[in-house]
Amino acid sequence: MDPMAGGGYPLALSEQEVRHVARLARLRLDAREVEGLARDLNRVLEYMRQLNELDTESVEPTWQVVPQAAPLRADALAPSLPVDAAVANAPEVVDGMFVVPRIIEGDADA
Amino acid sequence: MKMYNLSAADIVRGVRAGTFSAEACAAGVLDRIRAVEPDVRAFLHWDPDAVMQRAEELDRLPADTKARLPLLGVPVAVKDNMLTRQMPTTAGSRILGGFRSPYDATVVERIEQAGAIVVGKTNLDEFAMGSSTEHSAFQVTRNPWDVSRVPGGSSGGSAAAVAARMVPLALGSDTGGSIRQPAAFCGVMGLKPTYGRVSRYGLIAFASSLDQIGPFARTVEDMALMMQVIAGPDPRDSTALDAPAPAFRPRPGGLAGLRIGLPAEYYGEGIDPRIRDVMDQTLDRLRDLGVELVPISLPHTAYAIATYYLVAPAEASSNLSRYDGVRYGLRVADRDLVTMYEETRAEGFGDEVKRRILLGTHALSAGYYDAYYLKAQKVRSLIRQDFEQAFRSVDFVVTPTTPDLPFTLGERSDDPLKMYLSDIFTVTANLAGIPGVSVPAGLADGLPVGLQWLAPALAEEALLGAVHEFCRHLPPVSWPMEEDGDGR
Repeated sequence: MDPMAGGGYPLALSEQEVRHVARLARLRLDAREVEGLARDLNRVLEYMRQLNELDTESVEPTWQVVPQAAPLRADALAPSLPVDAAVANAPEVVDGMFVVPRIIEGDADA
Repeated sequence: MKMYNLSAADIVRGVRAGTFSAEACAAGVLDRIRAVEPDVRAFLHWDPDAVMQRAEELDRLPADTKARLPLLGVPVAVKDNMLTRQMPTTAGSRILGGFRSPYDATVVERIEQAGAIVVGKTNLDEFAMGSSTEHSAFQVTRNPWDVSRVPGGSSGGSAAAVAARMVPLALGSDTGGSIRQPAAFCGVMGLKPTYGRVSRYGLIAFASSLDQIGPFARTVEDMALMMQVIAGPDPRDSTALDAPAPAFRPRPGGLAGLRIGLPAEYYGEGIDPRIRDVMDQTLDRLRDLGVELVPISLPHTAYAIATYYLVAPAEASSNLSRYDGVRYGLRVADRDLVTMYEETRAEGFGDEVKRRILLGTHALSAGYYDAYYLKAQKVRSLIRQDFEQAFRSVDFVVTPTTPDLPFTLGERSDDPLKMYLSDIFTVTANLAGIPGVSVPAGLADGLPVGLQWLAPALAEEALLGAVHEFCRHLPPVSWPMEEDGDGR
């Protein structure tokens, strides 16, 4: 689908597209949430449409709001967080490592 | 003497001179919190035992050490999106329930090294997304001036704690007005510094190109005191500017000769007439003080909300991807990794956070990036240029902080767009990276009205000097929640 088909401005989001965006954002939504969010998002996106009134063809985007070079720190050795402290909040830890559900198929003992 | 009426500067002077101990001050402050917190509910966490222990430690320090500590014995409340090793940090979200940071935010480290006592962590809209503090996963904070109304947000807990005189100083964060708007609603002062003036290391990121930490206080001197401690470069934040902390100097010769710009776009329709009345009186007062009021235009103001609500959610959707149930916080277990992510985030995030993650993800997604995110960043340049242009002819810009008086609990929570539109006067300073302060201008129907002063980047020193001079000419304030009516 061409998102620009609405005359230079994206068309309203369908519920199916809201589900697609939710999938990209790794958010499970139930049917009621999809309906409500589609309504809210479309209302907000409709409001954003006014930006199209402005010709920004020759305008540079703002990537850095304060025009000052990022100050550099000394490249010095310093202690980092100990492993125990770094994993202390994790829901599941084995031998100082974060544990997640299996993502590679195969024998559990392999 | 009622300790809770003292300013931070008074406390430092009193403890240093031995007029009273840090312990006596802390005990007075804790009594005040016990008396008013059940009605205000500003704190998500506070720890009276740790406060008393810390105060005793400060009292035992040698006199020459005490003389060097700029926040000696000062109780400070910290918004719960700044990391603390000694206390939980939740950002107002279920997804960080039970989280205990292994390190302190730079600002927390700096205020503790300066002799402050961190009293507790204050309530906020989840991940600082909101303008009422109603979007906290844990509790609703009330406005001390009228507990049926919101304190504003997202730093509503910090603003309410200062207004209710539970603490003289608090830290908040401001991404689109989250310090200035609650300061206005709660009748206190709140400063959003220049982007990069204060280190963001250990501030839970919302929108990284807009976020900035700043103080709440009841006096300009106290705001300046806090800025001197927290501002300045930090090797752990590459966006923290290499600029010295602003000094506090009352403006010599008063306000005479100052040129203040009044942007037509901030004085148009949609402002509560009661706020308009207070603004008229305030502008008359400024004129009487010798200020030259200059009509100006910031022509892209009308596009600021649309710009902000594309840039901020886009950055938030990226920053909040770290909450995945792997390294900290909530995990909703599942046999499949992607399902675990989806269930954890569905369970852990509230509705407003989900709304903004989806908006931001959409604005950044393939095919939409140019139309939304890139477009918004270009319009942001136009908004920035408006201010650069204005500050060539005026010293400061003065506006109402908000178009509305504090609204009642629940009044706006069902209408996201209406809530977003109420940020119209504050989002511009974040988009332009410039400092802005809200100071109390007076009351309308018993509710505070905030006056916003905007200044060029890094002009905090001149800004605080001018604001201090202005505030000296305001009628005396009687603070809310007086226990026996004898005030100050």
